[in-house]
Amino acid sequence: MDPRKTKELFIRTVTTLVSFSVALPLLWIVADVIIKGMPAINFEFFTSLPAPFGETGGGVGNAVLGTLVINAMSSLIGIPLGILTGIYQSEYSSNKKVYSLIRTSIDSLAGVPSIILGLFAFTVIVMRVGHYTALAAAFALALIMIPPVSKATEEGMRSVPIEIREAAIALGLPKWVITLKVVFAVAKGSVITGSLLSFARISGETAPLLFTSLFSYYWPTGINEPMASLQVLIYNYAMSGFGEWVTKAWGASLLLLLIVLLINTVVRAVSKNNGGY
Amino acid sequence: MHHKLEVQNLSAWFDEKQVLKDVSISFPSNNVTAIIGPSGCGKTTFIRCLNRMHELVPGARVQGKVLLDGRDVYKDMDAMEVRRKVGMVFQKPNPFPNMSIFENVVAGLKLLGVRDKKILSDKVESKLREVGLWEEVKDDLKKSGTMLSGGQQQRLCIARALAVDPEVLLMDEPTSSLDPASTAKIESLIRELKEKTTIVIITHNVQQAARISDFTGFLYLGSLVEFGETKKIFESPKNPLTERYVTGRFG
Amino acid sequence: MQKIPSFLDSAVKYGALAASISVAGIFLFLFLTLFSNSIPSITLNGLDLLLGKIWDPNDGVFGGLPAILGTIFSSIFSLGLALPLSISISIYYTEYAPIKIRSIISTVMDLLAAIPSVIYGIWGLWTISPLLKTHFQEPIAATIGFIPIFSGPAYGLSIFLASLVLTIMITPIISSLSIDIFSKTPVHLREGMFALGATRWEVCRKVAVPFAKRGVIAAAILGLGRALGETMAVAMVIGNSYIWPFSSVSIFSPAHTITSKVASEFPESVSNALQFSSLTELALVLLVISLSINLVADLMLKRVEGGG
Repeated sequence: MDPRKTKELFIRTVTTLVSFSVALPLLWIVADVIIKGMPAINFEFFTSLPAPFGETGGGVGNAVLGTLVINAMSSLIGIPLGILTGIYQSEYSSNKKVYSLIRTSIDSLAGVPSIILGLFAFTVIVMRVGHYTALAAAFALALIMIPPVSKATEEGMRSVPIEIREAAIALGLPKWVITLKVVFAVAKGSVITGSLLSFARISGETAPLLFTSLFSYYWPTGINEPMASLQVLIYNYAMSGFGEWVTKAWGASLLLLLIVLLINTVVRAVSKNNGGY
Repeated sequence: MHHKLEVQNLSAWFDEKQVLKDVSISFPSNNVTAIIGPSGCGKTTFIRCLNRMHELVPGARVQGKVLLDGRDVYKDMDAMEVRRKVGMVFQKPNPFPNMSIFENVVAGLKLLGVRDKKILSDKVESKLREVGLWEEVKDDLKKSGTMLSGGQQQRLCIARALAVDPEVLLMDEPTSSLDPASTAKIESLIRELKEKTTIVIITHNVQQAARISDFTGFLYLGSLVEFGETKKIFESPKNPLTERYVTGRFG
Repeated sequence: MQKIPSFLDSAVKYGALAASISVAGIFLFLFLTLFSNSIPSITLNGLDLLLGKIWDPNDGVFGGLPAILGTIFSSIFSLGLALPLSISISIYYTEYAPIKIRSIISTVMDLLAAIPSVIYGIWGLWTISPLLKTHFQEPIAATIGFIPIFSGPAYGLSIFLASLVLTIMITPIISSLSIDIFSKTPVHLREGMFALGATRWEVCRKVAVPFAKRGVIAAAILGLGRALGETMAVAMVIGNSYIWPFSSVSIFSPAHTITSKVASEFPESVSNALQFSSLTELALVLLVISLSINLVADLMLKRVEGGG
């Protein structure tokens, strides 16, 4: 066969095989998590506290609640700050230097490994307060949320067509109304997408929690104390080597994976339907 | 009269939309045939079917026959071979920006495995002379192809297409983005080229078709309305639609 | 009537500005905090933190070299595997894949990137490590185990496993970016090459690759940055030990990276001030490396988009 055609066939075959084999880890991980996690899932799993080390039974109820509480707190801080920053960069930032400075800072923040954000939160909050606390976790995770939410807000608002802005200006509306009630309203889809994706993102973040909320074997009684989370539970239990606990870790992984993949799939499907909102 | 390229009942689609309806044309060898018609009539799609470029678009479909010297271009040949034998010059000049003028001209030859430096540089000189570019660029062969003016770039692209000695040269509105001086140069080049090559040219400029072509086909809404010697098409067209188009009353 | 809108205008504007300045300030604050907490280590450990091979909190010896080498080795190894994979995927995507398959590939990439690090960790620890040990490391040790880098006992948890897991984790990111970049190759240039009778691979090699080169390098650098900072998956599969590289050069030995060291030793360091400061300094080193890498990648990507 013509050497050019041989080369073409070779490249085509190799790249096809590589591309299809990349689906393998995805399928394997999902299958593993389901197969190994299902045995742990039952009503008790969601509702009970962990049993003492060495005993069977118990559940991860406090970790499920903990993850939700920590995520909620982080979102309360991170999403508004991200949105406000995005609004500023898109609508009010006129000085090029100021824009660049803020832009660079946000991009740099996005590039910080999450373990370092955890260490930072430990240093400024945990050390000052004197004990591990979920508040510090919320702070660290909020820092992770801010850059993507800010970017989604800024890009969403920038891509609002100029005709809409001009129509609002022509109606004599004050700037703050135009910004919030017209432009932001149109960009809402992008903002929601960015926020949901960062919510999914922090659900998977574990390193910062090791320095902040740490872990607990009890139900949360307040936000200024250590708190259990699915992520840290998976880490601790998987590394423990104790069969019961490893199974629980797989169960928690199943739960976590479900949440994260569900949010991602839904968000992407919806944003495709809305024409890439 | 020998027909280098014969098109029989050619129809083409983009997904569900039919763009060409049952077109049949025979292209006489060593002649210039112009395909004219208003925008959107399918001219570009038509010639892209001749060198099997149409099928590169996802969802594109072709039906009918295109015969090059009697061989079915779709069934008896593979696409690579067709495109080597049926060259194409595009509407917007597209020299490869990461290659020098020299490398642009021999790009097709290198694909064919030609490595001999003497053969390559001889080819570069002869083709650049053919398109009238040699004197202008002979000292700058190592410069990037994009450093030239629009007209020069287009002539470079023609030299590139000619370097692989195609039997047919397809030209898709080759001068529509050029100034009158460059246009004139390329038109006279086309008249010279037909001695060695069969040329099919698409143009929306009916005067250009009248100037340089021997045969003309008029395409309207995907169908062939009329085909014949250029003189006859322009002076005594059979179809009233043709008459209205060539006299400029529409399109 | 005029005053009220003007007050709200200012409120929104300055509120947004305040938020932005705080966010910008936080980054600076982070850097300064880490730096100031590293000072005890910088003064007492000096260069030993970067070049020392022994880490013993009880003796007050804090040598971070094995961890630093672990970070560098695992990141470069995983990039070395991930880059050819990502480029292959990009070529398949842009040249050969039917449209339906393209969207499947995008989805698979997105989902792989969304899987939490700790789940890669548990999978690496409990599924892959035993398999790797029995079906890969032991046969290799039995056959070519005389070669130093494959020598010694075949621990499942090792720098080799960590590098493999990192490869799977960074391939989606590099692939997604590369696909974007390859897709931006101007159509009229591709068509010019097709019209000369080139095969799809030839069009890719002669037109798309030169065009995409700079962007793909930038994507690779970004992937490298991600590998450098990855913590949980690495900490769970790397074995958490200073055996590699100075006690054993075998890649099948347990090792440390900066992230696994900090994550695993942090709990005990709260009672040892110098240990805490040393870990902080290691984290600072990582931060500086990560940020430099991201900066380089950003500059390269900007030049790609500007120059086209």
